[in-house]
Amino acid sequence: MQTVLDLALGGISLGGIYALAAFALSMALATTHVLNVAHGNFLVLGAALATLLLNILKLGAAATLAAIVACFAVAGLLFERVFVRPLLGKTPEQILIGSILITFGFGLSSEALLGYYWARWVDPQPSFSITFPWARLDLGGVTLSGTRLFILVMAAGLIAAFHLFLTRSRLGKAIRAMAQNYEAAVILGMNPRQISTIVYLLGIVATAISGVLLILAAPLDPYEGTRFTLVALTVIIMGGVGNLPGALLGGVVLGVAEVVTSFYAGGVWGPVVYLVVFFIVLLIRPQGLLGSRAG
Amino acid sequence: MTPSGAFRVAAAAGTAGLVLACLLLPLAGTRDLITAVFFTFLFLVLALNFDILGGFMGYMNLGQGVYFGLAAYLAALLLNTGWLDRLGRADIPLAIAVAAAATALAAFGFAYPLFRLSGAYFAMATFGVVLLIRSLILNFPGVTGGSYGVYVSPRHYLGLYPAYYLGLALLCASAALNLGIARSKLGLAFNAVRESEPTASAIGIDLFRAKRLALVLGAVPSALGGGIFGLQAGYIDVDAAMGVDKTLLPVIMALLGGSGLVAGPLVGGAIMRAIDIVLKNYLHLTFPALAIYGLILMGIGLLMPQGVLNFLRQRRGSAQPA
Repeated sequence: MQTVLDLALGGISLGGIYALAAFALSMALATTHVLNVAHGNFLVLGAALATLLLNILKLGAAATLAAIVACFAVAGLLFERVFVRPLLGKTPEQILIGSILITFGFGLSSEALLGYYWARWVDPQPSFSITFPWARLDLGGVTLSGTRLFILVMAAGLIAAFHLFLTRSRLGKAIRAMAQNYEAAVILGMNPRQISTIVYLLGIVATAISGVLLILAAPLDPYEGTRFTLVALTVIIMGGVGNLPGALLGGVVLGVAEVVTSFYAGGVWGPVVYLVVFFIVLLIRPQGLLGSRAG
Repeated sequence: MTPSGAFRVAAAAGTAGLVLACLLLPLAGTRDLITAVFFTFLFLVLALNFDILGGFMGYMNLGQGVYFGLAAYLAALLLNTGWLDRLGRADIPLAIAVAAAATALAAFGFAYPLFRLSGAYFAMATFGVVLLIRSLILNFPGVTGGSYGVYVSPRHYLGLYPAYYLGLALLCASAALNLGIARSKLGLAFNAVRESEPTASAIGIDLFRAKRLALVLGAVPSALGGGIFGLQAGYIDVDAAMGVDKTLLPVIMALLGGSGLVAGPLVGGAIMRAIDIVLKNYLHLTFPALAIYGLILMGIGLLMPQGVLNFLRQRRGSAQPA
């Protein structure tokens, strides 16, 4: 019972993080058609900044969170302006080659520099993790991990906030309109550049925060960025581009699969299982992206 | 003689001169230089192979190194079993051939999930193949040596000189393969798929079969190169056999030179190898090489996504309109 509960909570909270990161990627993909291959690197960068501020500079939790939001808002703005904006409105083939070259190059460089200088200046064995003193909750006979519960609540809260923003606000509706039909949205007077800016700003901040949530539960090393881009892509392929409930379901399936696999087959197999799920989904449920020229 | 005819003669003469220089290099070069040129051959093979799918067909394969690495492992592991010992001198060629055949079969199989996707999704999925194969090798240490890698028994080492000439032959064969595809109906079919899949399908091209064929054709020379590499090195691990350099450098080389042109991967490859050799052997930079590869990728994407050769051709075209 205790094992089942731990696995369920661990899997669902991890799934919430995956869903958040995946949804941020899918929103940007649906509106700009630029696939940001460096998406997972922002998750790792968020984790690195949190480790630096909390563990090494000993800032408080609130100050750390504020600094992370501010830093990644600026990073999102710059990233969009420098790397995404030049691609907007080009032909699908130009967008494809450009987005892979530019964002993959960015991810590779940022990862190499982060790993190299972290090892040199901070810790020769780079590993990002933060601890949050949350006791286990006693539910009469069984206990729940307070940290995992906190992760779950935070991820669920952020996803709910995203949902409200997209369905209730004017800007959110414009984003959804643009995701649904780019040309029609432009004809109706929506500004693709403004929307691209907002989507990257929000998406990168959300991704950095999902990185912070991730290292509350398990440490991360600098070279895992691409893995998370692929995890996010797997979730998108399972749930559909720009589909929030789909991302939620896909994230939870992957999270639970990873936690259960790690528990029964050993920790080395946990980070592999999403790849197996990815290829199986492609073989049996390809309609999600079949023939899609987007990106 | 037309200008383009003169250009062709010059290019053919230059190529013949280069091949001759490569043939004679082992007579004069140091061991380090011969090794560096041998690696250059292998990287150029990978870049040319990448371009069969990436350039002719427009499907960007970020996992070209998988076929190289898989064959390197298979050839080394097969020789280490000792099953081929009774064949005498034929064991090494047979091991490499079997490894390449098995790798081609793997590529054939990967075509099924991969070509459900297109565009950037396809590219990311091919990188997923790299991560999957890496994880499988690392997680079955009983078979593959895991993170300790595999040692080839000294009986099965491939000397540097035979490996060098095999690499050169493989490079010439790969260039001939690309040239042959570019000038055949097959190449036209591949280009048709790149330009418009609905149109290609409408004129009777079986899209999936064409894509699968391009993937397998590009995997075989890479696999042969991987087999040669593993037996020459005498030791392989996942980073040596299918590290980020083996998977990404071919992409950078082909796109830098000019994807879709037979000479593109060769020109881009020569530029990248020159940068690499200078960075590593002369400047001794205390700076991660991957960061530099990343910067080059970003630079190509932002400044000349069409590659050096197309860039020069367009400049020439705009300077002297024909």
